[in-house]
Amino acid sequence: MTQYGEPKGIMAEASMRRVAVLGGSRIPFCRSHTAYAELTNLDMLTAALGGLVDRFALHGTHVDEVVGGAVVTHAKDWNLAREAVIGSALAPTTPAITMMQACGTSLQAALGLAAKIATGQIESGIALGSDTTSDAPLVFQRKFAQRLVKMSRARGFGPKAATFKGFIPGELAPQPPSTSEPRTGLSMGEHCELMAKEWGITREAQDLLAYESHQKAAAAYDEGFMDDLVVPCAGVFRDNNIREDISLEKMAELKPAFDRSGSGTITAGNSSPLTDGAATVLLASEEWAEKRGLPVQAYLTLGRTSAVDFVQGEGLLMAPTVAVSELLQQAGLTLQDFDYYEIHEAFAAQVLATLKAWESEDYCRRRLGRDAALGPIDRARLNVKGSSIAFGHPFAATGARILAVLAKLLHNRDGQRGLISICTAGGMGVAAILEGANRD
Amino acid sequence: MAMTLPDLQDWRFSVDFEGIAWAVIDRRGESMNSLGRGPTEELGKIVTAVEEAAMRGEVKGLVLTSGKESSFIAGADIREFESFDTEAKVTEVVKQTLELINRLDRLPVTVVAAIHGYCLGGGLELALACDWRIADCEEVTRLGFPEVKLGIFPGLNGTVRAIEAAGPMDAMTAMLTGRMLRPAAAKAMGLVDQLVPTRHSLRWAARKAVLQKRRSKGAPWWKRLMLKQPVRSVLAKQMRAKTAEKVREEHYPAPFRLIDLFERYGDDPVRMKLAETEMFTPLMASDTSQNLRRVFKLSEMLKAEAPKDGFKPRKVHVIGAGTMGGDIAAWCVVQGMQASLQDLDEAQIKKALSRAKGLFTRHLRTPLAVETAMERLIADPAGKQIKHADVVIEAIVEKLDVKQALFLKLEKEVKPGAVLATNTSSLRLEDIAKPLADPGRLVGLHFFNPVAQLPLVEVVRGERTREEEVRKACAFVTAINKLPLIVKSVPGFLVNRVLAPYMMEAVRCYQQGAPREKIDQAALKFGMPMGPLELMDMVGLDIANHVGKELQLAPKDGNVLETLVRQGKLGKKTGEGFYVWEQGKPKREDLAYDQAELERLGRELVQPMLDEAERALKDRVVANADHVDAGVIFGTGFAPFRGGPLHYRRMEQQAPRAAAA
Repeated sequence: MTQYGEPKGIMAEASMRRVAVLGGSRIPFCRSHTAYAELTNLDMLTAALGGLVDRFALHGTHVDEVVGGAVVTHAKDWNLAREAVIGSALAPTTPAITMMQACGTSLQAALGLAAKIATGQIESGIALGSDTTSDAPLVFQRKFAQRLVKMSRARGFGPKAATFKGFIPGELAPQPPSTSEPRTGLSMGEHCELMAKEWGITREAQDLLAYESHQKAAAAYDEGFMDDLVVPCAGVFRDNNIREDISLEKMAELKPAFDRSGSGTITAGNSSPLTDGAATVLLASEEWAEKRGLPVQAYLTLGRTSAVDFVQGEGLLMAPTVAVSELLQQAGLTLQDFDYYEIHEAFAAQVLATLKAWESEDYCRRRLGRDAALGPIDRARLNVKGSSIAFGHPFAATGARILAVLAKLLHNRDGQRGLISICTAGGMGVAAILEGANRD
Repeated sequence: MAMTLPDLQDWRFSVDFEGIAWAVIDRRGESMNSLGRGPTEELGKIVTAVEEAAMRGEVKGLVLTSGKESSFIAGADIREFESFDTEAKVTEVVKQTLELINRLDRLPVTVVAAIHGYCLGGGLELALACDWRIADCEEVTRLGFPEVKLGIFPGLNGTVRAIEAAGPMDAMTAMLTGRMLRPAAAKAMGLVDQLVPTRHSLRWAARKAVLQKRRSKGAPWWKRLMLKQPVRSVLAKQMRAKTAEKVREEHYPAPFRLIDLFERYGDDPVRMKLAETEMFTPLMASDTSQNLRRVFKLSEMLKAEAPKDGFKPRKVHVIGAGTMGGDIAAWCVVQGMQASLQDLDEAQIKKALSRAKGLFTRHLRTPLAVETAMERLIADPAGKQIKHADVVIEAIVEKLDVKQALFLKLEKEVKPGAVLATNTSSLRLEDIAKPLADPGRLVGLHFFNPVAQLPLVEVVRGERTREEEVRKACAFVTAINKLPLIVKSVPGFLVNRVLAPYMMEAVRCYQQGAPREKIDQAALKFGMPMGPLELMDMVGLDIANHVGKELQLAPKDGNVLETLVRQGKLGKKTGEGFYVWEQGKPKREDLAYDQAELERLGRELVQPMLDEAERALKDRVVANADHVDAGVIFGTGFAPFRGGPLHYRRMEQQAPRAAAA
């Protein structure tokens, strides 16, 4: 089944190939502790992969590489991606790599695959990601875990008992995974509150962006845009976080979730919720796609990953400003050269701070090393089908969700070019450019 | 050391380098594995090969497993049962198969059954003859003894082995109810020794079981205690009472014979095995079993009306949230689909949703599943889901102009390829379709009340309905786990047409002075699931009266139905009809009638039904006589052990006495 391309010789001499995005498939996203409360990452990833296999008739097909993972994950899921492949209808000879870059996971997976396709190392690949905070791993505290290890290695009752010297019952309290930044001890929301204050992002502007996200997502379902992107899972047919009946008045009533001093602006309503879900996207060389009669929806042309020094006080979620700036420089494009902008909504404040930073001449000169501001974007082109505030945000799945949406947009509307940016924990940002297949 | 048997059709056999023999059943040209003559003979060759190799010390064990997606072995090959019409023929086949299974049981090496998919009837009996049983926990894996539904009980010494494995209570319950067990339930009972999460682990668990020489320990001592007298007879008595609540011994003898067998020989496996064969044989050759096998085949025939691939409906839109519309939508949701419910009256939708919740609670296993189902049932007063639906069903008032206007609008809104259906029972499909741009698109989907309980849906083919639309409608019906019966667009279609004369006959008898209890008892005596007067009370006398008039069957003068309706006595829904109803049950006088007299009256009551079935066949309302029988059995509950009205009539004509048994 393995298909090797023409012999390429030394890689540096091979000309780069275009990387086709053929489309994606995901399961509906559900708020944590709701419909997927009993599912594991492996269950969800397998279901999403099943949807992709059905959609593109990949039953029994050998795919060269499947790459992706999960952020909140159990130690036993160390081979998550490969286990999902084994549980799928793909050929069992399909290898898989489990990797992770927080919320950037599946976009980063796609960029890695794209590089291998472009250089002729592989012909086809699937990027995927899954996350659940319903099935978060609870572990013993390190101190108690070490006692258990020592005890299992000790011989005889005396030595075994000795390993429990100084034991206090408090050690037994299990340790839940934390979404706080390990270096700062602040939660993601607390960091974002700092950004909102630094950039002067108002509560009203955040609520409006969140409101529009819900409206656009509901409209996307209503018009049938989501029909081939989402497959039912565990009896669920659509994302359960979208509120089409939401009103700005109701949103204004919500209390700030992170800064309760009276000056906080971030609420449950203008942030993405904790979400369970999984998503996949299929990439390939043009030859591979043509051989299978699969239309190219878009080309993945360029990607960039950057990081900021949040430990010394930079905004934790500002890295996309850097990644996009560097990406534009590489591509020789301006920020205004895009028909669609897919800026992942971890928080409304983070999207708005990003936009504001690009409009700030001072920031662009000082931090991005540019001569002038990147400038404003046409907001009508931003997240036109809604984004993570409405759909929800199963961390590792979001990149694949966005890739599938943008590829379909470019395919449908004969659009020319789309920009993706995703902020991640640890002060990182991942950005990518998709180009329409119909530009010739 | 590699050894294979090359000439096998239905099995693959090989011995690997560790000395483990693998026998994989994968019947050629079949989607499901079943045990028929061919596979049994080949298994014989396999057992012989393993016997010989084991003597030479070349084989450590044998693993039986399946190469199919959804079945281990789904039971005996029921197509071959056709020839089992005399006891001698049954005995011959049973003897050969028993011998084989006993040889398998006696193999000196470890034999493991690695079970994925349906493991039913003879398949489970075969698995029980193995030393160790492993099942995976995938959704398609189910174990059970459906034999009683075919008028028999396990006949390959499965009664004995099931009791040995699971103890008398669990084993007898499984065999008496015919229930399909999930792997975890089968493990809890002891029918299975080990579970693995997915089919991928089966091979490796089986290998380990062979290498470790695993042997099932059988039921624990405290379960076996119940085999001793007098406990066993007490158990048997309880089982008889419970079974009698469900079926009559005169109609369905098999479960009662099984209880007899258990009571007499439960603690003596050797004699129980012999007695099992002795008691099994006459059951297998009986008319009852032959007829029940026929009913099974009829259900398979109806399922086959749906094309295997192509149309895969997932979203249903129902317009009209009355009892029927609401129940159709709720049933689709129970079966995993998304359903949207539209009605001008939002209070109606609310009522339907709360009724649906009751249905979900009864049918779904966890509160989470109920909650998810509620989210799948969408209140859609504005009809926003119409354009997403794969199937749109209309269940609004029976007014032609209203329906025509609705379908004109729907035709423009639905997506290409979606099924457009009406649930009408009294208007002509052709009339409703007339104004449409594409009248060939409209089909009828006639559900019966209560939707959750009746297995049949009539798929109505109008004069201009395209075949493709009919087939898609059938695919939808099977997708919601019902049986599709394709009928011509004529008044009453098949089921009501055949049922109505029977009901009117009951009304006539009642008018002539027969007590209502006697009429209903006579129908039960014949084998109907419910008496006709009680049934009419349940349906509503206004509806029964309407149908009677529509089909021009109502007695011309002094119609008691008409009188009751005028008095506002509409049956269960008003608290009184033929009976007075209290707490959902009719108040009955407990009267005993002469059995022979009941039998005569029962026969008299169904006569108009038999005649009408014959006329419906002549009018080609359905494709052929088998379809008439299938429709009447699954649509009205007509005594399944009699094989259907036309079949019953033919049998009666062939042997007037024998068939009335």
